[in-house]
Amino acid sequence: MARLSFKGGIHPLKEIHEGKHATKDKGIRAYMPEEVCIPLDQHLGAPSTPVVKKGDMVLVGQVIAEAVGPKGIPVHASVSGEVTGVVQKQLLHDKPSTCVCIKNDGADTWVEHAGLGSVETAPADQIIPAVRSAGICGMGGACFPTHAKMTLPEGQTVDTIILNGSECETFITADHRLMLEQPEQVVDGLRAAMRAMKVAKGIIAIEENKRNAYEAITKAASAREGVSVALLKTKYPQGGEKQLIHAVTGREVPSGGLPMHARVVVLNVATAAAIADAVTQGKPLIERITTVTGCVKEPSNLLLRVGTPVSEVIAACGGTTEEPGKMFFGGSMTGVALPDDTVNVTKANNCLVVVNKKDAVLKDATPCIRCGRCVAACPIMLNPMRLNELCEAGNLEEAKKNNMMDCILCGSCGYVCPAKIKFPFKEAKDKIAARRI
Amino acid sequence: MNLRLSAGPHFVARESTQTLMLDVIIALIPTTAAGVYLFGIRAAWVLAISVISAVLAEFIWQKLAKKPVRVSDLSAVVTGLILGLNMPPEVPLWLPAIGSFLAIMLVKQLFGGLGQNFMNPALLARGVMLVSWPALMSVYTLPVRVLGNTSVEASADAVSAATALIRPSAYSTYDLLIGNIPGAIGEVCKLAIIIGFLYLLFVGTISWHIPVCFVGTVALLSWILGSDPLIAILSGGVLFGAVFMATDYVTNPMLNIGHIIFGIGCGVIVVVIRKFGSYPEGVTFAILIMNILTPLIDRWTHRRVYGMVKKHA
Repeated sequence: MARLSFKGGIHPLKEIHEGKHATKDKGIRAYMPEEVCIPLDQHLGAPSTPVVKKGDMVLVGQVIAEAVGPKGIPVHASVSGEVTGVVQKQLLHDKPSTCVCIKNDGADTWVEHAGLGSVETAPADQIIPAVRSAGICGMGGACFPTHAKMTLPEGQTVDTIILNGSECETFITADHRLMLEQPEQVVDGLRAAMRAMKVAKGIIAIEENKRNAYEAITKAASAREGVSVALLKTKYPQGGEKQLIHAVTGREVPSGGLPMHARVVVLNVATAAAIADAVTQGKPLIERITTVTGCVKEPSNLLLRVGTPVSEVIAACGGTTEEPGKMFFGGSMTGVALPDDTVNVTKANNCLVVVNKKDAVLKDATPCIRCGRCVAACPIMLNPMRLNELCEAGNLEEAKKNNMMDCILCGSCGYVCPAKIKFPFKEAKDKIAARRI
Repeated sequence: MNLRLSAGPHFVARESTQTLMLDVIIALIPTTAAGVYLFGIRAAWVLAISVISAVLAEFIWQKLAKKPVRVSDLSAVVTGLILGLNMPPEVPLWLPAIGSFLAIMLVKQLFGGLGQNFMNPALLARGVMLVSWPALMSVYTLPVRVLGNTSVEASADAVSAATALIRPSAYSTYDLLIGNIPGAIGEVCKLAIIIGFLYLLFVGTISWHIPVCFVGTVALLSWILGSDPLIAILSGGVLFGAVFMATDYVTNPMLNIGHIIFGIGCGVIVVVIRKFGSYPEGVTFAILIMNILTPLIDRWTHRRVYGMVKKHA
């Protein structure tokens, strides 16, 4: 079978199998937290408004915060028990987040919920509203409200939905295990999305380092209407939307545009599984699979309730083997470092990596030797070396002319750089966007 | 809990400036060994003095300029070694020292240090010495020892001889390949250079584009102009220049298409100088000229950025 791919890119941590070896064969294990603090601003867009107060008793799946605006989504209780407070807590955003904290009573009592029937028979016009009431947002990392992605602007059409099962980021095996253990769920979610959006073609794209998941999904997808499976080369950032669309359809997302401008919508496989749950059972999104790895005693793929504190997540994996020097959510290429272990898991967190003191220290940058490795690695065909010079000189106007805003912040340039340069492209893009240069 | 907060990537490739330079040094070991074997202890002195002078020059400059001392990145070792390998074995021993100081101070540090020089330091220093001390820089001698079964007679007393470039008929293809000829310390043993080239390709330090296009162009053009292409490649400094000097990251273009243009350009200039110029060899000046053209090549060659397509409704 032909393996699809894109130009440029890198093979990060190839010498340790992308860091996935410790967890790729570990089955998904559910963990019940003692207490959760659920942030109301997990998704992109306006934070939800709390509708519970301290002392209220809540059930699993009960709405604890209402959606704000057409793109907003509600937030649900992930455990049953007593609300211990609606608090302001400093998480990973610039400002503190409003969180609803609930003491788990351990009974796991669910609120009453009902689905719309099977994904093939559910009324098509009720699927997107069901996705919204389930509080689903993109589980690949960005947490963009899924119902908003599925609702196209007037006059816009798409002809393909791609499920992103490439999981090209290092360390993460959450999607791998999901596709392997619950392939029907993933395919069901795709079918529901295809019916809701009236799209005839659905493609599930998987990197070849997950052969067994590819086989499981291929089996589950056979005889399903309009669904096919694509095998991708193992290369980073294969799962970047732009690279994925190019690899699978040969189309390019126009500069400054969205996937729909290439007539494609991309959903993560975990998001698809959540859509299936919402449609068939009316189950809101209150838990997700998170890979926990690095220097923990038992690296695992945990099914975590949203709002579980990182300290409990680490304890659930037997604690740390060494004193941690760094922790980050996501993979090592684009992951976000945590200030401490009091941070809570959100719908977007597919991975937690605990790094020891030694590996947490990155070497200082030395002068650029113009080796061109960053240029060869850039999947957008930019010249990172030149852009770095321009950013360092503060010449953002020229950086913008050199396509700075097309950078997808994949970090490939920083990974391959022998001079260990920390390319400041996120700051540059933020500044250009804020100043509207 | 004291955690580090930094942006990704949180793990990076092991390769560093130092490991890249070390790979070049490893690739130069066969050439260095062959040079010392063929030209004797004298060649070892030239190389040692040029390397030590280069490192010393870098250290002194960085100390005086109150910059971080980065001699451990090994780039000065590479510059010194390449400069030494570019010299005839019988040069007075003060010459490699002067050459190294010129290369490091004048060409590299005055322009801003590692990565900022617009010409290859070792090459420009060689060019300056070639013009300043033409007599000293072109005294070529027969090897003091020879390799293998050959009609070339080794001479223990450093007998001057014309380079193989001027009188190629005196040597067999075997002698040209193995290095039983007069010439600069590092450029005579072509076999050793090829081994170094294969190593650099294998570890991924360089790509094939510049060396292959450079050497290929020299062979093709020489053949068109009526010379033996094999002798054109094996008799002078083309191979050493193509593998170890034209591939200097700092002074060649960014993209592969740029590398191809650069390599072909070097080849054309070498043949033009050899054929029509007053110097018998043109590798040094060919690469230097292409170094100067590198910013232009980078400007002419660019890739289509992803996403330069129109939006679909």
